[in-house]
Amino acid sequence: MSADRGVPILEARGISKRFGGVVAVNDVNLAVNKGQIVGLIGPNGSGKSTMVNLVSGELNADKGQFLFEGADITGLPTYRRARAGMARSFQLLRLFTSLTVEDNLLLASHMRMKTSIVGSILGRESGLAEEQAARRKARELLAWFDLEAFADKPASDLSIGQQRMVELARGMMSEPTLFVLDEPAAGLSPPNVDKLILLIRRLRDEFGMSILLVEHVMRVVRDLCDHVVVLDSGVKIAEGKPDAVVKDPLVVEAYIGSGWKRRAQG
Amino acid sequence: MRNISLSLAGILLLALLPFGVGGYEVNVAMVILFYVILAVGLDLVSGYCGQFSFATGAFYGLGAYTAAIMNRDLGTSVFVNLPAGALVAGLFGLLLGIPALRLKGHFLAIVTIAFQTIVYLIISQWTSFTGGQVGLTMANVGPVTVFGVTLFEIASLRAYYWLTLVMTVICVFAAWRLANSRLGREWIAIRDDETLAAAVGLDTTRGKLTAFVASAALAGIAGVLTAHSLRGVTPDDFTIWISATVVAMMVIGGRGTFIGPIIGAIFLVLMPEFLGRFAEYKMLIYGILLVVAITVMPEGVVGRLRQRSAR
Repeated sequence: MSADRGVPILEARGISKRFGGVVAVNDVNLAVNKGQIVGLIGPNGSGKSTMVNLVSGELNADKGQFLFEGADITGLPTYRRARAGMARSFQLLRLFTSLTVEDNLLLASHMRMKTSIVGSILGRESGLAEEQAARRKARELLAWFDLEAFADKPASDLSIGQQRMVELARGMMSEPTLFVLDEPAAGLSPPNVDKLILLIRRLRDEFGMSILLVEHVMRVVRDLCDHVVVLDSGVKIAEGKPDAVVKDPLVVEAYIGSGWKRRAQG
Repeated sequence: MRNISLSLAGILLLALLPFGVGGYEVNVAMVILFYVILAVGLDLVSGYCGQFSFATGAFYGLGAYTAAIMNRDLGTSVFVNLPAGALVAGLFGLLLGIPALRLKGHFLAIVTIAFQTIVYLIISQWTSFTGGQVGLTMANVGPVTVFGVTLFEIASLRAYYWLTLVMTVICVFAAWRLANSRLGREWIAIRDDETLAAAVGLDTTRGKLTAFVASAALAGIAGVLTAHSLRGVTPDDFTIWISATVVAMMVIGGRGTFIGPIIGAIFLVLMPEFLGRFAEYKMLIYGILLVVAITVMPEGVVGRLRQRSAR
């Protein structure tokens, strides 16, 4: 594993976010070190998704600071964070449905290419080497995911499992240093979950990415994560090695307790 | 290849039209060409980039008034006015694009209607500059000379029709290049899912602004051509009815299909010619067609045909 362990790529310092009267995330500190897979877990409504949207910039924190590779990115809009080297997948699959699978990947490399009205009209860009190189790379990535055959198909034609893979391929296309995965195992069959675990590990080991993983499926968390952060009602209640964290009485209570509460109310 | 040869055949046919028909028909063909530019332009911002706009008539008018005012004050010809009209309309497109960055869907549509209304009020009320309700008249387009040699007299209807045809071909080709470029791909991405577009690192602000500017500049060019064709401008040529008509052309033909709005423009301009005494109800008929299209065929005629053949 990577030698730069211990150097944080992403740091969240004292992040808070409220929606009206509800404090969705309350003074959360979190760090992802280089080459690490960090899990973010917690029961439903614990603030995981809010935290992910704060990291990626879709939401702005009310309080606190985000550092990415040492630079303050707190006020940056989503696209600037993406350009800084942050990619993400979505809990509810998101693809550009009217575009082909290959074009979905290509768009993730646009941020490194120039576009202009005049250039587009004069056709200065399509012949450029960078466009060709991006297409080649998209094909290679699709081959890596066994999806070459679908390159020219509309993204909406693919199965859920295949669309998840396209999301991962899209993330890799932009060569991120940090990949934020929001419940990548949601809706996958058990054999596909095994495949996903292998893939995510390869993202780290072969491509050197650091990963922030939000996940409900405990098997994925236990198999992959070097470090786990547990949220409950927007507050960080535990963190550490996955095996230790799942035995933490506070974590057990957050999960089982909320289950009981739900049952009592239902 | 088939599309290219079909387009070339169509252009050739249009170029030969003045030899086969009378002046009235050539004028109708010219009106079709103006609307083709307007509909293709609107399709870039609404069909490809997904940003509603009811302001096409305003940009059309801005181009036309630029031509009329420059012609009056500076004596400029159509060839100077074309880029000037595109520039002025494009700048106002940028201006309208700025609120569009924060607004979506119906709210954006309302702002574009407000913009359309403001432009109409200015051109109809600022009498000292725009001629007010009466509008402005323009001198004939003079002969085109290079180093003192007269290339051709553009004053004739035929010559002006050809100029319009050439400009339309250039505009449609430019729009086609845009729609199929990297920029066009970004516009489609913004339309499909703006959140995702930002998450993959696209500057959606810039994407939307470029779509507004390109669309407005095309409408401006159509406006300059129209002003010189009518030898003048009046505010009532650039009302929200024009915007609504162009929206109907785009929607009925098929948003984001490129060819659809062209077919819509041809169909809706020709239709009143065959309606006889019912032609005065054309806006009513456009409205009904628009409602029917949105209800039963939101993807438009061309969109529906493509879906069929894809199956």
